[in-house]
Amino acid sequence: MSIETLSAPPARSTRSLSSLFVLWRQTPLSFRIGLIILLIHFVLAATGPFWAPYGYSQMGTGRPLSGMSWAHPFGVDQLGRDIFSRVVYGAHIVILLSLSGTLLGLVVGAVLGLLSGYVGGWFDEILQRFLEALISIPFLVLALIAIAAAGPELSGNPVLIVLVVALVYAPRIARMARSVAVDIATRDYVTVARLRGESAWSVMRRELLPNATSVLLVEFALRAGYAPVLIGSLGFLGFGLRPPTPEWGLMISENRALIMVTPITVLGPGLMLASLVVGLNLFTEGLARILGRTVKLGVQ
Amino acid sequence: MGAPVIAVEGLSVSYRQGAGFSRVVDDVSFSVAPGEVFGLVGESGCGKSTIALQLLGYRSPAMRTDAGSIAFDGGDLLALDRVELDRIRGARIAFVPQNPTTALNPGIRVGAQIDEILAAHGQVDPDKRVARTLELFGLVGLPSRPDFLRRYPHQLSGGQQQRVCIAMALACDPAFVVLDEPTTGLDVTTQEQIVALLIDLRARLKMSMLYVTHDLGLLSQIADRVGVMYAGRMVEIAPTAELFTDPKHPYTRGLIGSIPRIEDESGLPARPLRGLLQRHNLPKGCPFAPRCDWAETVCFEERQELATAGGAREVACWRWPDISVPDDARAVVESPELDYAERLLAIDNVSVIYGSGQNAFLALRDISLDIGKGETVALVGESGSGKSTLARAVAGLLAPAAGEIRLSGKRLAGIVKDRAPEERRLIQFVFQNPDASLNPRARIEKALARPLQFFFGKSSAEDVMAALADVRLDDKYSARFPDELSGGERQRVAIARGLIAEPTLLLCDEILSALDVSVQANILALLQRLKSERGIAMLFISHDLAVVRMLADRVCVLFRGDIMEIGRRDQIFAAPFHPYTHSLLEAVPTPLKPHPRREGVREMTAAPSAAGCAYAGRCAWQIGDICETERPPWRETEEGLRIRCHHTLEELSRRATWPNAASINAEDQKALQ
Repeated sequence: MSIETLSAPPARSTRSLSSLFVLWRQTPLSFRIGLIILLIHFVLAATGPFWAPYGYSQMGTGRPLSGMSWAHPFGVDQLGRDIFSRVVYGAHIVILLSLSGTLLGLVVGAVLGLLSGYVGGWFDEILQRFLEALISIPFLVLALIAIAAAGPELSGNPVLIVLVVALVYAPRIARMARSVAVDIATRDYVTVARLRGESAWSVMRRELLPNATSVLLVEFALRAGYAPVLIGSLGFLGFGLRPPTPEWGLMISENRALIMVTPITVLGPGLMLASLVVGLNLFTEGLARILGRTVKLGVQ
Repeated sequence: MGAPVIAVEGLSVSYRQGAGFSRVVDDVSFSVAPGEVFGLVGESGCGKSTIALQLLGYRSPAMRTDAGSIAFDGGDLLALDRVELDRIRGARIAFVPQNPTTALNPGIRVGAQIDEILAAHGQVDPDKRVARTLELFGLVGLPSRPDFLRRYPHQLSGGQQQRVCIAMALACDPAFVVLDEPTTGLDVTTQEQIVALLIDLRARLKMSMLYVTHDLGLLSQIADRVGVMYAGRMVEIAPTAELFTDPKHPYTRGLIGSIPRIEDESGLPARPLRGLLQRHNLPKGCPFAPRCDWAETVCFEERQELATAGGAREVACWRWPDISVPDDARAVVESPELDYAERLLAIDNVSVIYGSGQNAFLALRDISLDIGKGETVALVGESGSGKSTLARAVAGLLAPAAGEIRLSGKRLAGIVKDRAPEERRLIQFVFQNPDASLNPRARIEKALARPLQFFFGKSSAEDVMAALADVRLDDKYSARFPDELSGGERQRVAIARGLIAEPTLLLCDEILSALDVSVQANILALLQRLKSERGIAMLFISHDLAVVRMLADRVCVLFRGDIMEIGRRDQIFAAPFHPYTHSLLEAVPTPLKPHPRREGVREMTAAPSAAGCAYAGRCAWQIGDICETERPPWRETEEGLRIRCHHTLEELSRRATWPNAASINAEDQKALQ
């Protein structure tokens, strides 16, 4: 007997250029707002040094501790440095260090966690106990231990800061990734891959990772938001970037004693930090929804 | 018929979809008389569950009632506010959900859950509540003992859980009960018990019911009248017997035609409906017009309201008077006579044990089974019988504790990763649930290209297209994500993914059970064609004996990990039967079959002892202690049918009553032609 061939309903096209605007309109609002905030930050980071009114370590730009004014929107610190200029100069440092540190932590954590959740058994058992041990150490203490172990000559080195951020975050992200993997690993499509004889690495890359993206992205945004605070705390303790580097966290801790006198000196960098965190969160939340196909893009 | 208990008038409901709303129930009207059981049937997504929820006054922010009224107790349910609804729900209108496991709160004892309802509806005396709960448990066939009230849901079987849900619904003597697929999640024998209970309750309590299901066969046993829905519209309403013997609407005809019939000895496929419901492409007129063989221009252009079609019947079709001639019976397929002499797969004395030590559970006991080249062997049995376990052992997902499995004479390693790539390629697995078997983040082309790349080292778009064409899907599907496909389409893709590796053996684990009847018929036809064209051997697991009868060359009946009976298809469906096979056959719901009187159906009393027959303790034909103490011998007929039972073959033949119970149906079938 004849069995009919089914014909798929017309596809949504995402190819043509004229549809780009329509696609933009279909993206979740959070995605659009987040993307705009992030773009502002990136533009600031990329171009800031070329148009900032003062140098980041230039002293005597105005009366120390004077509040907001047109010349000094974020005020002037104890040494007479213009906070706004310092914030603008610092943008690329903050974004580069915290994003790359978190990204490294995410990659390491996701790979370890997904593999551990899929493979199970002894590998999982041992790795999890090890990661739990790392997590049980308060993260500042862990960071200090790592920095101390690296030796004094590396102290204040941006690469070390990135590695420390990754070290602090990776175990936490790995645990999250593992719990997701344990759930996905029981799905039939993973069983199909296993029956085919795919390696654990291949299963992780093809089957687990694409389905863990939304969780991992949200995790990334959250962690990336705290990273500047972590880097700042290290700086405050004298183990991070050294003054006068215009890193936002460092600036907040430098000026924190002045909060009663000129709150704007703390609020300025704080506001920038907050908007970066909010922007990152909105963007990744929206991105997760697009990748997770709860919001479908396409032109009929 | 007196005044209806509940009357739905012109009900239209929409769900939010993206920016707008899409209509899921469109101008539906029907009423249910006192003491009547009204069946609502249709494929998934036709709007039947939405109507069921509307009858309970369920409202959700994502849902909008566009028009209509539901008259009940002299008021309009749709106009009531929350407080008034709370008073009616549970007391005057009750609900039995589809899945009792999720409907019962796992943290509350079952007695307390019923107590809650009684308390909420004004029974203040705790002693009376307990007495009533015990009475209800007796009513639904649960032990009405105080200690049973103190059980938690997880301590009950699925069937018992559903009985608790039914008791809950009956707690306040409602005037009207809505049942949403109450037996769908249960296995055949349990399903049959629940249906028997409902029929019994209906006779005793004279309740009105709305029974929502996709299973027409089931409705024939319990419903007085049936409403058939398609794409949100009611297309036909008719008294049950008339609907089955003389369906008027082309969709109803197709639906009834797609039901696999257990008495059908021909092995011919059910006649599937043409095409698929394409929601984005519904005509202005009749939604079924694009799939209808009789459609004319008027069908596409003008909408047909439900109109009287003689007697108590109503049908929404422009053409029904012209198509009363029954269309041809089932299509004929030429299946080549294959010689299965050459053995492909040999399962030798395989046992599988789950757990270890004290908790060890023998899932398969000493199973031996052969599959010839190109042969389809069906594994039949209720849930927990070890069907899936056997398939998983063959696939290499779990290692047998004893025995060995050989493919073309070569011993297969227990676990898949120890097998050679070629061995992994030759055995492919298709899973039950098409929703879970495709990676939701991979486009179809990616899902199909991967096995090609993995096994053959290269993949091309043409190969992927060819694989899609094999399962009758066109090129456009390759760029889709699984969530853009219907269940049937996904199952086709899953089959294509198995076939693309060019296996010699396909393991099919209940691959039809998650699909609608009409879709099932399509996939079944597809499997039959693959079988005859490609000569692929199949291990086909199913609890649906009618499907098995169409597809299988040989059937193996399992119970609690032990083979009860094994033989060619025609032998299995004829006397002598193993007592268990017989009870399975009797339990199959068939359109218009009068409900069989089951003598001596017993709940499992005790776990079977390792020494005796696995079925002892539930067997209606049990001889005595010998069944529990001594493993029954194989009894073999001259044609090669093997039955494991202490009864002699003559005795088993003598006791068999099965095909006769369905004889009425054979007459109906003649009337159909």
